[in-house]
Amino acid sequence: MTSFQSTLGDEAGIAEELAENQQAISIAEFFEKNKHMLGFDSGARGLVTAVKEAVDNALDAAEESGILPDIYVEIEEAGDYYRLIVEDNGPGITKESLPKVFGKLLYGSRFHAREQSRGQQGIGISAAVLYSQLTSGKPAKITSRTQGSSEAEYFELIVDTDSNEPEISVAETTSWDRPHGTRIELEMEANMRARQQLHDYIKHTAVVNPHARLELREPQEHFKFERATDQLPEETEEIRPHPHGVELGTVMKMLTSTDSQTVSGFLQEEFTRVGKKTADSIIDEFRDRHYGREMRWRPPAEHEDVDLEAAVSEATANKGADATAAFADAIAAGVDETDRIAHHELLELVDSAADEVEAEHGTTFGDTVRENAVAAVWLALIDAREESGDAAGETDDPVESRLVADCYDLADEATSTRKDDEVIRAFADRLAAKFDDELEDSEGEDGNVRHRLTRKRLRAHVDRAADLTEEYDDVSFGDTARENITEAVWDVMATVPDDPPLVRELAGDRDAASDLVDGMRATDIMAPPTRCLSPISEELISAGLEKEFDADFYASATRDAEVHGGDPFIVEAGIAYGGEIEADGSANVMRFANRVPLVYQRGACATTDVVKSIGWRNYGLDQPGGSGLPKGPAVIMIHVASTNVPFTSESKDAVANVPEIEDEIELAIREAARELKSYLNKRRSMQQRRKKQNVLGTILPEMAEKVAEVTGRDEPDIDDAIARIMNNVLVERSVKENGDGQAVSVTVENNSNTNESLEITDIVSDEPTSLPDDATVVEMDGEWFVKWEPEVSSDDAATLEYEVADGAECSLDVKGVETEKLTVKQ
Amino acid sequence: MSADNDQQAREQLIDLAAQFYDQFELGEIPHMSVPTRTKNNIEYDEESDVWVYGDRESTRSANSVSGARKLLKATYTIDFLVEQLEQDRSSTLRELYYLSESWDNDEAQFTSQDESNSMVEDLEIVSGVTREDFHMRPEESGAKVMGPLHIREQTKRGDRDIHCQLDVGQGGYQIPNNPDMIEFLDNDADFVLCVETGGMRDRLVENGFDEEYDAIVVHLGGQPARATRRLTKRFHDELGLPVVVFTDGDPWSYRIYGSVAYGSIKSAHLSEYLATPEAKFIGIQPADIVEYDLPTDPLSDSDINALESELEDPRFQTDYWEEQIELQLDIEKKSEQQSLASHGLDFVTDTYLPERLSEMGVL
Repeated sequence: MTSFQSTLGDEAGIAEELAENQQAISIAEFFEKNKHMLGFDSGARGLVTAVKEAVDNALDAAEESGILPDIYVEIEEAGDYYRLIVEDNGPGITKESLPKVFGKLLYGSRFHAREQSRGQQGIGISAAVLYSQLTSGKPAKITSRTQGSSEAEYFELIVDTDSNEPEISVAETTSWDRPHGTRIELEMEANMRARQQLHDYIKHTAVVNPHARLELREPQEHFKFERATDQLPEETEEIRPHPHGVELGTVMKMLTSTDSQTVSGFLQEEFTRVGKKTADSIIDEFRDRHYGREMRWRPPAEHEDVDLEAAVSEATANKGADATAAFADAIAAGVDETDRIAHHELLELVDSAADEVEAEHGTTFGDTVRENAVAAVWLALIDAREESGDAAGETDDPVESRLVADCYDLADEATSTRKDDEVIRAFADRLAAKFDDELEDSEGEDGNVRHRLTRKRLRAHVDRAADLTEEYDDVSFGDTARENITEAVWDVMATVPDDPPLVRELAGDRDAASDLVDGMRATDIMAPPTRCLSPISEELISAGLEKEFDADFYASATRDAEVHGGDPFIVEAGIAYGGEIEADGSANVMRFANRVPLVYQRGACATTDVVKSIGWRNYGLDQPGGSGLPKGPAVIMIHVASTNVPFTSESKDAVANVPEIEDEIELAIREAARELKSYLNKRRSMQQRRKKQNVLGTILPEMAEKVAEVTGRDEPDIDDAIARIMNNVLVERSVKENGDGQAVSVTVENNSNTNESLEITDIVSDEPTSLPDDATVVEMDGEWFVKWEPEVSSDDAATLEYEVADGAECSLDVKGVETEKLTVKQ
Repeated sequence: MSADNDQQAREQLIDLAAQFYDQFELGEIPHMSVPTRTKNNIEYDEESDVWVYGDRESTRSANSVSGARKLLKATYTIDFLVEQLEQDRSSTLRELYYLSESWDNDEAQFTSQDESNSMVEDLEIVSGVTREDFHMRPEESGAKVMGPLHIREQTKRGDRDIHCQLDVGQGGYQIPNNPDMIEFLDNDADFVLCVETGGMRDRLVENGFDEEYDAIVVHLGGQPARATRRLTKRFHDELGLPVVVFTDGDPWSYRIYGSVAYGSIKSAHLSEYLATPEAKFIGIQPADIVEYDLPTDPLSDSDINALESELEDPRFQTDYWEEQIELQLDIEKKSEQQSLASHGLDFVTDTYLPERLSEMGVL
């Protein structure tokens, strides 16, 4: 309540006066005052953001038209200001839409599309134009040439903040040396304090866009990042929303705007992964929630005193004895055949019985007759007939309703055997009574004769019956038992065949729409298609890391698509380790969303949180205190690709903490980290092996020398012993005189505890003969390459034998075994 | 004879080196197996009544860096010992440790004397040659002997004929490092009395016990050195003299008796050469503490533990020892040899020993 509230009888002007001051705010005006929301909070940051927006747009544009991006970024000092130039080789922008793209906020093609792209809202580049005009007062200078046109268009424009429309000061055609592309030139108040972030942004962009060529020239430095691949990312397709994770409001909005009449049509048309079958399942779920299910009762057993035939006959008048009997018989037999029967199932049965008898006897069974028959049989089934005089007179004991026996069996089955039989019986009695009560609940009407209940109402009945049982029989009736019984009863109940409301009815009915949304969530639906996403792929992540980091080891992982809020997403992770990567301090975490590097607000980002929460010691990295960023020469890269990446703010600096996404980030990182771990373990064991080999390499020869000294013999040959000690693979060639030539034998002795596959090439200076089948020989420039690829199991040996002329020289080359594990003697 | 011994020892050592040589040549990993020298691997040999090593072996193999170092040290030690034998020199275990510092190879140097001692033990066991035959001496020389015995000792300076009562001073005859260098010429002795403490030995000598009873008094000095045990065995085996052991009345002293009679863990490979299974225990027995009303100290916890573990030690599983140890656990007291002085300085020689010796049938 404000103090300006007008009061009756007072001078009538204040409200009107206030209303005059109320006016719409242009989006441009809003952001003029809230620059920080878009990442333009300071001169240093504004420059980085402007570069980022321009480069993102350039990449999107080039990729969409299948062009390998080639982007040039230049920053130069221009008096008190900085001039930013971004040039691309994209398709160019037509003369008509160019001013709006750069001069109007929230103008874009991406906002309504469920498809992965860098830009989403259509704010970025126009916000950069706005920022530049606000700080320097100069217009943006834009040149664009579309493919095939002979001339380029040149514009100078600013954003008119009052109207959020471009205000063009210069528009002319000009010539440009690029065949197609766009160039934007902005002057703004800025500084280079964020040089590091700028470099990071460009470098990281190069990592995740190995198909792009990037060049950055700034006042102090000049970088070029060449392409690592000529393969463009796969084109993405737009998809419809997925039924899981759309919200009620969205569904209601979709209901009003759809062309479909039926719910089934609506579901199939407007959502992805919904066909006829899935739509039917959703509608069934909707029916259960909206209409409830109908209880199916057991047909009377032989011993029961329920004569359905008599009941039908009694209810059928003026149809002739034969027809009536046939009708009654058909119905009674039909009911008897079922395990359980619900009201609507009885309706069908009576209808088909009537049709049959009609056809056979030529008697017409009108609606009234059918209704009467249904009512008679149903009331008999649920034991709700008006007691006839005879029955009442027979005994004073109230006959137990047949529903009790049914309820008893269901409850008994669903509860643990420990429950006292008496208690179950008492409970069944009360539950049956609740069904009876349904008849009278809505006075005046028929009552709920059909025993149609939602699960909630059923649970309420079970609860009530259980509460009463607890109260009167002094036993406990726990939540699990109640839930089990509810579930058992709900299971035997039947989904009703009622038609769902039409779309236009649903649109106005919030509760029904809510039931539909619940139904959509409860139905199993295939995960959304991933054509709308463009993950980088494991190979290209590794390639990108290899291009920018000179490391010893690279690992990458791409997860399968998951859904969050109706939008599919894919998480990828990569790790580079060792080599030239800075070993001091924490590992470098590179964050990406839809291939765009995130350089600010690292601490607020879900990716950073996940990296910190992982126990890196398990993966062989240092982590002081067991949590936080790991230490050491590592780069950890995370890429979240989605049709709608949830950011913490419009400046798109940090991924929001969405549990589904966090889980996938963790799994992706762990997948890559497992590879890192086995690499580090292997490296460690190789290091130990090398160390051992070094030590033994000095000790054993000395020992051999000493032994020779003591025994007065020549020094013994110790290579075999060393190979065996090191669990090494020993490849040894021996040559024996053999008539005119010499017999060569190459022996592989595997002392390791794994099987080894070797590639052995013996290069011989004369033609070898008598080669076995598993060896091949190739002659090249007077040298013969004998190739032999034996597989030798642990503690086993293999031998290659051949002959060659006397005096021939040989040299062995062995591949397939780590050098640390290999001893070659020739 | 000694030159033959030296020659044999040398050959044994060279054989060991040759064994490594052959292993190298065959492409095998050089190795050497020795019995595990721990309490758990000591077995009682029923036949010879002494303690010997069981079947468990530890292998020194060049498979690991530390094993390779050990074998390297072994070859250097072999080289040193072979040379020492060739030059007919000898050295102490401690000298070996310091000498290794002069070896040209850092990896071959010993890091502690325990290491060099155990290396010599390894070589002893593997080559079957005793340390004495390698010309390796322990730091302390053997203890002293006093009694009616005439011997000839080969020394570096020629043979010496010595009578162990007439030619020696109050201190007695010093047992040389290698008692196999001694030749027995003549004796008037009736038995051998091994005494644990120096004080008691001096008392017996001062009181002229050796002369009066024709006893050879051997000073053990705590756990007896190998030379002492070897000489005691030779007295028994070669001169046919009964051996009795006189110690304090506590569990630790019973173990001294045990090592004279049955052998010790570290030298179990030489038990047959060092132990005298026929040696008898004279006292102080727990029964004597009661009988002679000796001054006592209470048993400490570690004494009680030692007694209890002796009850489970097969060496002490005889009726005699079980009775004595249980009696001691019962009275919870222990006494020293010299507590006999509470009955006068001559009590031990005039009363206690003659009484005990006749009980045991030695006198």
